[in-house]
Amino acid sequence: MEIRPILSALSRNRTGALLIATQVALTLAIISNAASVIRDRLALSERPSGVTDEASLLTARPILNARTDLAALIRADLAGLAALPGVRAVTVTNQLPMGRSGWSLTFSAGREESAVSTNASYTFDGGGLLETLGLRLIEGRRFEAAEVRELDPEQSAEPPREALVTAALARHLFRDEGPWVGRVFYSGNGPQAGELRIVGVVERLTTPWGLAGEEDAYTVIVPQRFLNSYNYYVMRVEPGAEAAVRTAIDEVLTRNEPDRVNTGIYSVQELRERRYRNEKSVAWLLVSVTVFLLLVTASGIVGMASLWVNLRRKQIGVRRALGATRADILRYFLTENLLITSGGVLAGVLAARLLNQLLVRELSVPALPWDFLAVGVACLFVLGLAAALGPALRASRLSPALATRSV
Amino acid sequence: MIGYYFRLGFHQLRRAPVLTLLIVLTLAVGVAASMSTLTVLYVMSGDPIPQKSERLLTPQINNYPVDGGPQDGNLPTLLSWTDVRNLREDGRGQRRSGLYGISGILYPERDGLKNFFVDGVAVDADFFAMMDAPFREGRGWSAAEDSAEARVAVLGTQLARKLFGEGPAVGQEVRVDEQRYRVVGVLDRFSPVPKFYRLDGSSRAGAGEDELFIPLSTAIAIEKDVDGTVSCFQQTGPGFQGRLASECVWLRYWVELGSASERSDYEAYLQAYVAEQKTQGRLPRADARAIARDVREWLVEVGVVDDDVRLQFWLAFGFLFVCLVNTVGLLLAKFTARAADVGVRRALGATRGQIFLQYLSEAAALGLAGSVVGIAGVFGLLRLLASQSPDLEAYAQMDAVMLVTTVLVSVLAAILAGLLPTWRATRVLPAVQLKTQ
Repeated sequence: MEIRPILSALSRNRTGALLIATQVALTLAIISNAASVIRDRLALSERPSGVTDEASLLTARPILNARTDLAALIRADLAGLAALPGVRAVTVTNQLPMGRSGWSLTFSAGREESAVSTNASYTFDGGGLLETLGLRLIEGRRFEAAEVRELDPEQSAEPPREALVTAALARHLFRDEGPWVGRVFYSGNGPQAGELRIVGVVERLTTPWGLAGEEDAYTVIVPQRFLNSYNYYVMRVEPGAEAAVRTAIDEVLTRNEPDRVNTGIYSVQELRERRYRNEKSVAWLLVSVTVFLLLVTASGIVGMASLWVNLRRKQIGVRRALGATRADILRYFLTENLLITSGGVLAGVLAARLLNQLLVRELSVPALPWDFLAVGVACLFVLGLAAALGPALRASRLSPALATRSV
Repeated sequence: MIGYYFRLGFHQLRRAPVLTLLIVLTLAVGVAASMSTLTVLYVMSGDPIPQKSERLLTPQINNYPVDGGPQDGNLPTLLSWTDVRNLREDGRGQRRSGLYGISGILYPERDGLKNFFVDGVAVDADFFAMMDAPFREGRGWSAAEDSAEARVAVLGTQLARKLFGEGPAVGQEVRVDEQRYRVVGVLDRFSPVPKFYRLDGSSRAGAGEDELFIPLSTAIAIEKDVDGTVSCFQQTGPGFQGRLASECVWLRYWVELGSASERSDYEAYLQAYVAEQKTQGRLPRADARAIARDVREWLVEVGVVDDDVRLQFWLAFGFLFVCLVNTVGLLLAKFTARAADVGVRRALGATRGQIFLQYLSEAAALGLAGSVVGIAGVFGLLRLLASQSPDLEAYAQMDAVMLVTTVLVSVLAAILAGLLPTWRATRVLPAVQLKTQ
């Protein structure tokens, strides 16, 4: 196939070709960046929390601000919930992965100013936290029931002395690969920081906030029941029993203390959905922008190709009369489209990189990987050919007799 | 003449209906995508209290310990009780109010209503006048009631209606947790967007009305727990008293000045305050300082407009731009097909200027049609945005300004897209066209 005549024809009709190429370039720049943001957000919302089988882990948070014997109430609630058919394990804690509110403290590897220091989520094990959540212990031991103390914040602020940490936090604090059991770290930083000894390491447990980076897996677990009215009860439920357990939970909680308000029962999976709703909506918005963009670009190519076919009916007729086959005509228009798309794609790759640099700098968007760009390029070539195919086929079916008709 | 061209333009829309439909739809989706994201951005970066945003200041004081807390030079976005108490007692400015978030269980006395959870804020007497909060019934409490730690409350419209129906709420009592409050006033739809007075940078939540307002002095006296962020960088004593005595930050403070020109005086006062506190052994950092921000500066500091919103906005405008380029192509096709018409008109004496005006009017007519479809699209998209992310709900609201802007953007986009095709139309040589007829 000769490209020369196509190029010379294009050079006589630059406007249309330039318009299509520009559109292809802009589309490529936008969709490749959008796709990389979409993947980033979806990956963020699908990170493991450390909790096994999130759908069958139910949480309830009944709130009561009246001054009652909270220690006794919590014990009664736990006993009542554990006795429910279909409930395998129960615990009480102050926060949950992706629960969106919780405690955070500064922890450091030493008391000196230069010591590594970071914020980490501060989770309370009210007895059986690891078993209930299904956290994997990779080193050391879990807390025994006897170690869990009931802490009344109105009476005491005495800090705990022993803790479990996540592997990610230990790795960050100590800058090594362990073993970490028996080592000491500090809550707070500076000379008054409290000392904590590591008794065990869990593989992973994420924060209530769903932070962006590795910090999301920085968690410290201490053995205590905090006697305030904002605790979560967490229940591991047998498969299939979930619906029945949900109503039963409400009954138990209301029976033990009718005055409190239950803020709803959610599985950890539902907590995940609520936490990442914004990320999902950004991803969803970008998916629709991408789809519409491809549609608009395709319609532009169809429109322009049809216009050219119409303008060149006579020339097509002459070519066919002089012996060009249908395939020749088809090939001509498809090659022409390929050339224009190639020009657009070339400019588009450049534009995509530039746009990405701008977005990375201004809007903390992830860097654009080359494979995304490659997929985008392939997409646009396919789109261009598919869009041009219709008009090109129509052109190939034009009768040679057209050439003889006067226009 | 333009009016005639415009009518002609509308008439032409019916010719080549497929092409017309394509152009209108292309314009409409571009406009809908860009204008809905622009609306969110516009509402988010709007001034919630334009009449006095320059006179409302909120201080930030660096009370971090020497070796603890962030070392990045940023100031805490919240204040300690010690600082709020001192600033209130110093009494600078025309009006002033400390503030922190509270919540509790409300025990309704009306039959058939179960206990429920309410959100609210503890504020000082000046708060309502300061924020220009409108009262539907009653009034705020007095300074005397503030200092007497009176058990009084102001309710939001919805809460008052829920509890007392259409009857009077003032004079009634509400029980929240273990405390009873006498209702002294009911607000009439008080929901500045963004809810600047409560934002502390921890979330975008600018949505929803606060339902319950109680005096700050009362909240402190009854040890009402905080519903909101509490940041501590040192070990504190037990209980609420431990927190009051600590350097934990968990309150906001707003001051209203008589005029914006008093700001430098107020900032000088804050510097003097920091120096004075240092002599008492507080604010230990060498670079300890205090600054004041007005409402607009505060909204920037707490990052109401986050990167995701900006990203959506820029990508949507990129999308509009692609639609624009596409429209240029489609208009080119539409106008080229009518070269013969132009030839006849030119031969009958129309000048190039007249042809230019006529075709540009047609493009504008297309833009107008696009804006109608586009506005429907904007409403649909805003609703979708609000349902997808509840955080955005308060911001996904269309107003008259944005409505007019949408029409303008659409028409302008169409005219812009029409420039090149129109210019090409005026280049038509009448002789060539007439010959081929």
